[in-house]
Amino acid sequence: MSQLLQSLTTELRRGTLTLAVLSQLRTPQYGYSLVQLLEGSGITIDQSTLYPLLRRLEKQELVTSSWDTSESRPRKYYVLSDYGVEIFLQLKKEWLKNSQQLYSLLKGEEEDEPN
Amino acid sequence: MNLIEIYIQEVTRRLPEKNREDIALELRSTIEDMLPADYSEDEAKAVLEKLGDPVTLAGNYQDRPRHLIGSRYFDVYLTLLKMILPIAAVISLITMLAEYFIGYSGDQTVIGIIISLIGKGIARIIEVGIQTFFWLTIVFAMIERMDNRKDNKPLAACLKKWTPDDLKKIPNIPRKKAISKTEVFGSLMWTAIWATLYFYANQLVGVYQGGNNGIEFVTPAFNQNVLLQYWPIVVLVIGLEIALALYKLTARQWTKNVAICHSVVEVLGTLVFIVILVHPNLLNYDFITYLTNLFSITASQLKMWIVGGIISIFTVFAAFNVIDGFRKAGTR
Repeated sequence: MSQLLQSLTTELRRGTLTLAVLSQLRTPQYGYSLVQLLEGSGITIDQSTLYPLLRRLEKQELVTSSWDTSESRPRKYYVLSDYGVEIFLQLKKEWLKNSQQLYSLLKGEEEDEPN
Repeated sequence: MNLIEIYIQEVTRRLPEKNREDIALELRSTIEDMLPADYSEDEAKAVLEKLGDPVTLAGNYQDRPRHLIGSRYFDVYLTLLKMILPIAAVISLITMLAEYFIGYSGDQTVIGIIISLIGKGIARIIEVGIQTFFWLTIVFAMIERMDNRKDNKPLAACLKKWTPDDLKKIPNIPRKKAISKTEVFGSLMWTAIWATLYFYANQLVGVYQGGNNGIEFVTPAFNQNVLLQYWPIVVLVIGLEIALALYKLTARQWTKNVAICHSVVEVLGTLVFIVILVHPNLLNYDFITYLTNLFSITASQLKMWIVGGIISIFTVFAAFNVIDGFRKAGTR
């Protein structure tokens, strides 16, 4: 892939990352389980971005965190707060609307292309 | 200590104290999650590779900006820098020249003076440039860090958000009518140069000859006492030239008034110049002898050539400047 295309693709994905993470946090998840969930859906994610993102979301009060020390290895779980759920639903609506608009735009483009 | 501990330390030592412990704990548990129970060093390396450079990871954990001046302030910063740098350079040059001539002892050759002035001038401009650049950058870097507003829109030069009304404040000057700052500073520089030559003519203007000690000043061209008789009117011309330069700087374009003032100063300057030049005892006797011997012509021929030549050149230039000024003022 050319360097330009790669940087454009990264830019395109960047905005969707927050939405992808929020969508998986309706049930409590710890760092690595979240990575696995996302990768299971085919979303590759830069781990050096993900863990700092979780902290930022917590600071923005979209998620809450708690340490689970009951198992042999202590794990930090993140889950959406009430406010987080509200924001997530709105963001999801926004995304669906946007992608629909973009889709019809790209579809129109396709029909114009000579076959 | 194993690689994982070193990695965690590399990340956390770049973070604020209060977050270190928690992030270290979380990182450790995440890394262990990614590894099998009994892992080899290669497996550990593979996991750490996935997490990437500890410096990048630490940077992502921090909210602080990772640039000195962001897009919000960059335009303002650049505008100010472009405005302040030349002003600072010119002021430092002028003060340097003033300092030099006030402390001038009179025992240096002109080449020595020029070389030391150029050297000092360059050094001073570089020094002042670096200082200006440094302090302005520091101030903006601090503003960038103290500004807590979330709005990231770039600011206009007056530190406010841009509105269409800002357009009204921009003077609409046609290119052909504009008076550039370079032009103004150039004329100020010229005033400084000829004023220096005038007041120090006995040390600067004359015949130079290559001797044993490099280039030597043989004889001055003018009788300094004759030249200095005219000092009040010369000072007046200097004052007028400076005033004209400042007026041009504020007017920013050629108007009829600018052209008139420009002509008055130009004509007055040329007249004073001619009056001084036609004074019968202006040229130094030694200088005349030197040149008549050199070109084997008579003294009166020489005077006619020098005085006549210089007067015609200056008159032509003055006339051209006056006409050019009115032409620019008349441009629509």
